[in-house]
Amino acid sequence: MTGAGDHHEDDTVLAAEHVLGLLEGEDLARAERRLESNAEYRALHALWTEDFTSLTDEIAPVTPPLRVRRAIDERLFGARREGLLRRLGLWPALSAAALAAGTYLVVTNLDLMRSEPVGPGLRAEIAAEDGSLVVQVAYDPADPDALQISRPSGAAAPGRALELWLIAGEAAPVSLGVLPEDRDGRVAVPEALRPLLAQAVLAVSDEPEGGSPTGAPTGAVLGAGPVTTL
Amino acid sequence: MSRLTEIEAMIARIALGDRDAFGALYDATSAKLFGICLRVLSNRAEAEDALQEIYVKVWHNAGRYQVNGLSPMTWLITIARNHAIDRLRMRRKAESRGGDMDAVTAMADTAPGPEALAVAASDSAQIERCLTELEPDRAGAVRGAYLAGDSYADLAARYDVPLNTMRTWLRRSLMRLKECLTR
Repeated sequence: MTGAGDHHEDDTVLAAEHVLGLLEGEDLARAERRLESNAEYRALHALWTEDFTSLTDEIAPVTPPLRVRRAIDERLFGARREGLLRRLGLWPALSAAALAAGTYLVVTNLDLMRSEPVGPGLRAEIAAEDGSLVVQVAYDPADPDALQISRPSGAAAPGRALELWLIAGEAAPVSLGVLPEDRDGRVAVPEALRPLLAQAVLAVSDEPEGGSPTGAPTGAVLGAGPVTTL
Repeated sequence: MSRLTEIEAMIARIALGDRDAFGALYDATSAKLFGICLRVLSNRAEAEDALQEIYVKVWHNAGRYQVNGLSPMTWLITIARNHAIDRLRMRRKAESRGGDMDAVTAMADTAPGPEALAVAASDSAQIERCLTELEPDRAGAVRGAYLAGDSYADLAARYDVPLNTMRTWLRRSLMRLKECLTR
């Protein structure tokens, strides 16, 4: 047999061992590099993967318990989503009070999130489990530069700051800055982040004065809440 | 739209962060993947944890699906199998240090029953046919590696042969398997 033929045969077996998980140490590292760099090897690897996967044809499906689905949702899409949504049921009362107090505007005008010319505003409530901190956030598309913040309950600890974070899907939290010391105020939203708002979760963490020095949350996350459409 | 195309479309939408598509994919595929976790791990609680991790991985990696050239179910099953095998290996390592008898008992309790074996007999993929062309213990070694995460050392111990002999055996078997699969 020619050297090239041997080479192909070696690769065929190597790819099978690779898919089965039989390679270790330096052999495994070499095979991984080959998978990255060599299209022929990649094709062999894919073929074996398809073939060995057929070994699972005989495995009967078993419906997993509902708690698995709930745990996944919790991990991916924000803790205790249902609980948060239930708490948001408090909003009509809070909103009326807030409107009366003039703490935020609800104006439907240009909505940057959707293609329709007129769209709804957005809001979120970030609340600590024990109610020690409640932060209400409203976003009015007609006033797109900033979020309106209202903090009916809670404050930063002495010498500390409350920092607001935007979490879009699985991306790392992006800081929106430190919350104003006053109970009502505004937090600027960079233009690039505005389209993400509608699908995001907002969170507040406890940080050193002036905000997280690292660009990522460093202290405890005090509360989080999904952004909802008004 | 065929079922596979549907699943492919779900994965594509998940890559764009579509939660509804993620829910639909879970509904369509979680029973199969849970079955695989149960088979590999033989422990219900651990299989539930594994399934959780697997769908978290699916959510994170959906964007990489298109480039690997696998069919959508193969891609999902490979994520599930590889994760379950990793867990099983970690557990074995922990057991060999701590000697956890509970886990061993749990494994014995939940070994696949006659029902699962009946399903096995009714479904004959090409690889099943080709494995029957190998000597039974060689075929068993291939299955052991795929479905139980056996290493060369595990297999050598089970068949009571030196490590290098095991390697040579299995590599030859894999070559013969390939010849059969490409026939």
